Amino acid sequence: MFSAATSWLEKSSEEIDALNVFPVPDGDTGTNMLLTMRSTMEEAYRAPDHSASGVAQAMAKGALMGARGNSGVILSQIYRGLAQGLQGKESFTATDLANALQQSALVAYKALSNPVEGTMLTVMKDTAAAAQAQVAGGNDDIISILEATVNAAGDSVANTPRLLKVLKDAGVVDAGGQGLYTILEGALRYLRGETELMRLRKPQIIVSELPHTASLPQAVGAEEIPYGYCTEFMLKGEKLEPDDIRKKLEKKGESLIVVGDDSTVRIHIHTIDPGVVVRFATKLGTMHQVSIRNMDEQHQDFLEMQKEKMPTADTAVIAVAAGDGLTDVFGSLGAATVVPGGQTMNPSTKDLLQAVESTFADKVIILPNNKNIVLTAEQVPSLTKKKVEVVPTKTIPQGVVALLSFDYEADFNTNAQIMKKALSSVRSIEVTRAVRSTKVNGLKIKRKQPIGLLDGDLVAVGDINIDVINQVLAKIDLDKAEIVTIYYGADTESAEAEQVGASIREQHPQLQIEVIRGGQPHYSYIISIE
Amino acid sequence: MTVKLVTDTLSDITSDIADELGITVVPVYVRFGEEVYRDRVEITTEDFYRRLVHDAAFPSTTQPTPKDFLDVYNRLAKEADEILVVNLSSKLSGTYQSAMQAKDMFEGECRVEVIDSQLVIMGLGLVVIAVARSIQAGANLDEAADLVRRAVTRSHSVMLLDTLKYLAKGGRIGKATNLLGSLLSFKPILTLKDGEVSPMTRVRSRAAGTDYLFNYVAGFPQIEELAVEHAMTPDEAEALAEHLSSLFPREQIHISTVSPVIGAYVGPQVLSVSVLEADTK
Repeated sequence: MFSAATSWLEKSSEEIDALNVFPVPDGDTGTNMLLTMRSTMEEAYRAPDHSASGVAQAMAKGALMGARGNSGVILSQIYRGLAQGLQGKESFTATDLANALQQSALVAYKALSNPVEGTMLTVMKDTAAAAQAQVAGGNDDIISILEATVNAAGDSVANTPRLLKVLKDAGVVDAGGQGLYTILEGALRYLRGETELMRLRKPQIIVSELPHTASLPQAVGAEEIPYGYCTEFMLKGEKLEPDDIRKKLEKKGESLIVVGDDSTVRIHIHTIDPGVVVRFATKLGTMHQVSIRNMDEQHQDFLEMQKEKMPTADTAVIAVAAGDGLTDVFGSLGAATVVPGGQTMNPSTKDLLQAVESTFADKVIILPNNKNIVLTAEQVPSLTKKKVEVVPTKTIPQGVVALLSFDYEADFNTNAQIMKKALSSVRSIEVTRAVRSTKVNGLKIKRKQPIGLLDGDLVAVGDINIDVINQVLAKIDLDKAEIVTIYYGADTESAEAEQVGASIREQHPQLQIEVIRGGQPHYSYIISIE
Repeated sequence: MTVKLVTDTLSDITSDIADELGITVVPVYVRFGEEVYRDRVEITTEDFYRRLVHDAAFPSTTQPTPKDFLDVYNRLAKEADEILVVNLSSKLSGTYQSAMQAKDMFEGECRVEVIDSQLVIMGLGLVVIAVARSIQAGANLDEAADLVRRAVTRSHSVMLLDTLKYLAKGGRIGKATNLLGSLLSFKPILTLKDGEVSPMTRVRSRAAGTDYLFNYVAGFPQIEELAVEHAMTPDEAEALAEHLSSLFPREQIHISTVSPVIGAYVGPQVLSVSVLEADTK
């Protein structure tokens, strides 16, 4: 008699076989996981009996034998935990499943000398926690528990960029986590009887709603260099001690994984000198399934893939902005590069030229976002072979509306026109402090007093920011406006900015108000009126 | 020779138009958790959007089965010599595959042609309407199929969304992924490019978005068919159609609702225009 366990495993294996390659957005994680799964299922079919325990043990063995890559090895440990959790069970209940998943998470964490959050480990942990919570809540239906765990896995995958900066910089979710989610989802879909649907559909890549941080092109994954060689193999011998091996190899490279038992150990390491690792291993036993790959090449492939991700591969927008908040705003709206700069810290022509040259695109639009940078930017087109247009944005709000109006379907010249045209749709207010006492436009200004500029003209002075902002707002016909965006500076309290927002909202309830931390120096407020 | 025209509910054509032009519309399936409904037959558009907003379960959709199409072929074969099936983009749904499988299973004398339009919503609907008219005027299957293949390149749809939330949830975001994660709020404007959802641009307000839709239509020198669609905002669609009457006769502008299947991904505040350019060649 088939137990629920075996039918689940057997059926899901067909499903997993049907997934050609996981469409994951980096390197070969998907392929590695698939190959590991294949090996896992081959062994599952050879299981001595159809008990849950027997099949799970066979899968764990198959996974370890066939584990490829970092993700494959972790996957194998997940199966090992599952097998431990189901040890001796003929079939399993909801509670057994939840416990086994918990064990999977534990074993997977233990396998790594330096577990990193924001990877498939985190996804496994969150998945297990969700299953536990379901069981604790009295749920004993395996399908609905699996539904909850798949949802939790999905959320966890979407959250990975928050935990791991390299993912955030690259704007992707963790590939291993995505693979794990896909396996779980595949199992769930099969249990629900959606085979027909699955035959026609591809698994979906989870999309993170986290803003892409704007990183200079060369900064993508820069923290992981040097890459060196991804080295992996299976070590067979007698009385092997995985813990000792792990300790010995710890200093030899990154991403070390050592798993196995006293006769078979699988080793994965990113190292500059694979020779050292190989010499060490050959002293302990015989090496099998040896693979040494140059990761710099992989990284190049990855950068190529990043390019393909862009909606229009041929036009890049480069913006100038100061402050981490503003940099994020431009990055999240699709600027390829944000060059640091602004008032009192104008970037040089060379800085801008460098940004243009290092971007992926042959056609570049520059948003200087400051009247003192427009001229500098206009030098760039004559210095490069690339096609460069400067949209002469004089303020941050102008830069934002220009970038927003970018038309993904339009060609380069049309886009430059559309963006220039958009500038008239916004008014810019800037609030800063007078650097000296003076008289301008009939205003008597004392040093360090807050002053307000409207589209670059000094029009207001006062003793407190809110007063100055109100004076400037009074000069604008707000009846025609729809949206007010307040970017507050590095030295401005968020509470004060919220108050400014609330006061505008009170006076003009029809307006949509957004308060965003710009983090810019010198300007306590930059306000955009659209 | 009698030619019968078949499409799916994602063409968004109203039942009035379908009846008038003799078009058979095969419903796709909409699912909330365990409950499955046939689009526009067993669940009204109003009900669907209400549940989209309030239900915990996110709806999923499934293509019609091959049998659904086969039943239609068998029924139509009694009165027709040829059947033309025009489906929504195969990149968005397996409906086209189902229609093809049914064609393989079909044993009647009647000739069946199935076309993947690479379109959806009224972008598809307008092509279907134009072809239905040519069939009424006496076009045979080959002529009608040829017309579809030429018309799909002249058909354009643009959608103004209030949020990308639903698209991201449903996983059908296509190349619009880049629009996600913005620190500023905006209304995305999307189009369909090569059968996939693709970003067009972003506007900051609903009013700016409606202006964009108007200007988009104004950009076409000659329009053969025009449609305005909404989900739960008929007044807004009506106002836009009224505004567009300066470009195209108001009484010829089709007003329709965005099918639940697409609605699940674009959300209840979608407003869209579809244009079938006149064939000037």
